[in-house]
Amino acid sequence: MDTELMLKLQSWVDGELPASEAARIAELVRTDTAAAALAAELRMTRGFLAGNEPEVKLPESREFHWSKIQRAIERAEAEPRESLPWVAALRRFLVPVSGLALVAFLTVLSIGIFNRNPSGTGDELLVEEETLSRHVDTTTYNSQANNMYVVYIINKDVVDDDPMDLDSDLDEDMDDSVIQ
Amino acid sequence: MIFTRFFSRRFRLLFLAPILSLTAIGAHAEEIKLEAKLIWASNEKNSPKKEHKPVDEATAAKLSKPFPQWKYFFAETNVVKTVPSRGSNRFVLSKECTLEIAELEGPRVEVKLIGNGKPVHKTIKEIKKGGWFVYTGDDKHESAWIVIVTQLEK
Repeated sequence: MDTELMLKLQSWVDGELPASEAARIAELVRTDTAAAALAAELRMTRGFLAGNEPEVKLPESREFHWSKIQRAIERAEAEPRESLPWVAALRRFLVPVSGLALVAFLTVLSIGIFNRNPSGTGDELLVEEETLSRHVDTTTYNSQANNMYVVYIINKDVVDDDPMDLDSDLDEDMDDSVIQ
Repeated sequence: MIFTRFFSRRFRLLFLAPILSLTAIGAHAEEIKLEAKLIWASNEKNSPKKEHKPVDEATAAKLSKPFPQWKYFFAETNVVKTVPSRGSNRFVLSKECTLEIAELEGPRVEVKLIGNGKPVHKTIKEIKKGGWFVYTGDDKHESAWIVIVTQLEK
């Protein structure tokens, strides 16, 4: 017996077949013992199910039950979504930390600007000089090997011992030595 | 509401961060401790001035490189002072020789050499620990004076 025939047999037991088809299956059950046995078994099973199928009854009307579900959905959609407590705590922690990090970064940057690498920028070579006395000349000497910057003060009054110097009367206030 | 609160916090931070940063940058400007030495250089082994003492070997060795014409170096005065941030201080090394040093932005210093009460020379340059800034000139009787300015640890 194939599956198709078995399904038709079940439909015949349930009374779902058209009259012509039902007559053919009834004839089969009467002549075929296997079909008759299956039909008997299906009838017995149907009888058990019909007697013991649980019946669930709603305590309220169907319309009222579904309207309650609909109202609950609408209420949930209308409520603002509160962020999770740990996200809020993390944000409260990160806002001041990020501010402090920014300040620390700018501080380090400013220190880096002010304390420049001695080998690098060339700013150490920028020197402004001004001779404030007309009695002296200067010569400068920068020794990077010795890390030394030397300004040599030359006393013009001693070097240029020129008797024809027209400004000699103006130099009376200048000592022989500029410093000592 | 939450959105407004969130952005107001961010704006507060944006205003606060530059102010704190500028404070930090300003706070970086600091006083410097400097040492000024007056040294007398000569080829005579003994100085005519009793208060002169030979400089230490390291200083003599370093001085002999730019000043090979002198054999002996004698320490006359040693002044250590602090120059306040964006301020100045006077280093009186002898009756005739004074330095006026000002701390400038950069950090740079303005070193003014004053001889016999009159300004002689002014130099503005960066100063670093370990570096020497030197003024020098010839003196009477085949000798020379040397003024060394160095930055010390605070």
